[in-house]
Amino acid sequence: MQQFIAQTLNGLTLAGIIFLVSSGFTLVFGVMRVTNLSHGAVYLLGGYIGYSVITATHNFFYGLAAGALAMAAFGLLLERTLITWLGRSEMSELLATLGLIYVLDDVSLAIWGGSPLTINLPGVLGRSTTLPISGIVYPNSRIFILGVSIVIAAGLFYMLRRTRVGAIIRAGVDDREMVSALGINVRRVFALVFTLGAGLAGFAGVLGGTVLGVYTGGDSDILLFALAVVIIGGLGSFEGAIVGSLIIGLIEAYGTAYFQAVAYSILFIPVVIILLVKPQGLLGKVSR
Amino acid sequence: MTAGEKAGPVALSSPGPAAPPGRRARLALTFLRGSRRFTAPVAVVAVAVVLVLLLQGNSFASTLVLDMLVYAIAAMSLDLLGGYAGLISLGQAGFLGVGAYGVAIAEVHFFSPWAAVGIGLGATLALGLALGIVAVRVKGVSFVIITLAIGQILWGLAFQWVGLSEGDNGIPLSVLPSIGPIDLNDPLTLRMTVLVVFAVVAFLLVMLVHSPFGLSLRGVRSNETRLAALGYRTGLHRYLAWVISVFFAGVAGVLYIFVNQLISPDAMSFSADGLIVIMVVLGGLGSIWGPALGAVVIVLFQQELSTYLTRWQTVMGLTMIAVVLFSPGGLWGIVRAAGRRRDALIARLEARPARRDMP
Repeated sequence: MQQFIAQTLNGLTLAGIIFLVSSGFTLVFGVMRVTNLSHGAVYLLGGYIGYSVITATHNFFYGLAAGALAMAAFGLLLERTLITWLGRSEMSELLATLGLIYVLDDVSLAIWGGSPLTINLPGVLGRSTTLPISGIVYPNSRIFILGVSIVIAAGLFYMLRRTRVGAIIRAGVDDREMVSALGINVRRVFALVFTLGAGLAGFAGVLGGTVLGVYTGGDSDILLFALAVVIIGGLGSFEGAIVGSLIIGLIEAYGTAYFQAVAYSILFIPVVIILLVKPQGLLGKVSR
Repeated sequence: MTAGEKAGPVALSSPGPAAPPGRRARLALTFLRGSRRFTAPVAVVAVAVVLVLLLQGNSFASTLVLDMLVYAIAAMSLDLLGGYAGLISLGQAGFLGVGAYGVAIAEVHFFSPWAAVGIGLGATLALGLALGIVAVRVKGVSFVIITLAIGQILWGLAFQWVGLSEGDNGIPLSVLPSIGPIDLNDPLTLRMTVLVVFAVVAFLLVMLVHSPFGLSLRGVRSNETRLAALGYRTGLHRYLAWVISVFFAGVAGVLYIFVNQLISPDAMSFSADGLIVIMVVLGGLGSIWGPALGAVVIVLFQQELSTYLTRWQTVMGLTMIAVVLFSPGGLWGIVRAAGRRRDALIARLEARPARRDMP
């Protein structure tokens, strides 16, 4: 029972990190129809930059901010150059960002080397707490991550549902042409969404680096989680990203604990079921 | 993009200025006409180089060529699906792995080497038939994501199901099949066998894409609704293209384990899946020979140039981006475009004397 509770908490923590990555991916796809395969590499690069800044400044929060801001800037640059040059061709964007993965990974390898790095949380966040009732000793870092992801999810939810920018983004997911016909500068919305998505990925990279580590290949791991999430939740759906992240995070945690041999592969069972039963995803609006 | 598709109209539409043909123009004309006959010699030289590299004793060079041939099979078969049916799969390396693991696992369980080959190919085909039902339900970007998921399920099994796959260490293969005089344990026989299988697969794929089936696949890619309205069962076409592509990936996998005598999850990783897609796109989608060329370039980069050029992956990634941006037809497209330009130039030069003779 204790193990089950601990695994549930692990699953929720992982879901938090996956959510931060997949929400950006899904919004970018929803609004721009861009499948950014390098999203995972952006996550990893954010983690590496965060690590370096933390090593230099001895302040975790500077690292967190640096990872997020650096990747947001990179996202803006990417949107303004490559994505714009490719001019709205879904497959070209996918293939070009596939090429970009190899560049970003190789650059990361050249700068930070191949050995896995771990980001340590400062002070009380780096310790463990005995949870009430169950008596489980659980690391504070994971509870912190869970809390931060919930706060960010709530913030994003508020932005999407209650602000003008959010309304424009939601409208963009539903009908891009109409948004542009209403006189809204779609290019600015695109740049904003892409920057936001990349920034969230960079932020998640630093946050995830504390429990998952920052390592070569971490990018494809997180990318595949994110892809599974968006298929389950529905490409372009923010709420779908929340539901999908919870499903994937929990399956991964239970799988690792109870079905070691197939832990990774069973992640994709819900993906296949969704595709057969409801190809547009649980909460998806985008038809394919 | 079949041979000589655009040559005619271009020749007609370029009259050229009415200058008298100088000595230089005649020379250029002779040279350009001569270069037309290069296609056959270039092919012969390529085959000769491959043969020499395979026949000579240096096992490093011949292993390099064998790896190129194996990946060329995987890339060409992906081209049938990606270049013709418009379904780019990011799970091709996964099926290559299934073929290779099928052979290795069957041999571990004391099947004879030939039976192991049958099991490897059979397993790939069965998986292709089953997974195709899920995969070809969607197109475009969704198809890429789904095949990526499939590829990762396969990788995950190879990596984590240690009882079956030996996990990260992979499975070595000690004994290769032999029947009568054909003993694959003999390096020379193995090399020739790989070459023959490559030639057969290439021949079959070229025949296939020029057959009515291949043409209808292109129809599926460019306008599926219209093709469906004409009474074609487009879903079935996509499914068949998928099954054929997966099966040939399995063939590549069987050859892969013969050549390397070891299969490990690395060969099925996301990075490996991406490399095969890069081979196809770099070489030229929808040209069969282009992806083979792409495989040659990438394997050369990966195994040979990586010694001199540490950051070869950066170069490869940037090249991929450049190809997508500037030359969607890939290397093959560049060669073909150059050929068309040459034909146009010849036509213009030829038009000059004809013009002078006319009243």
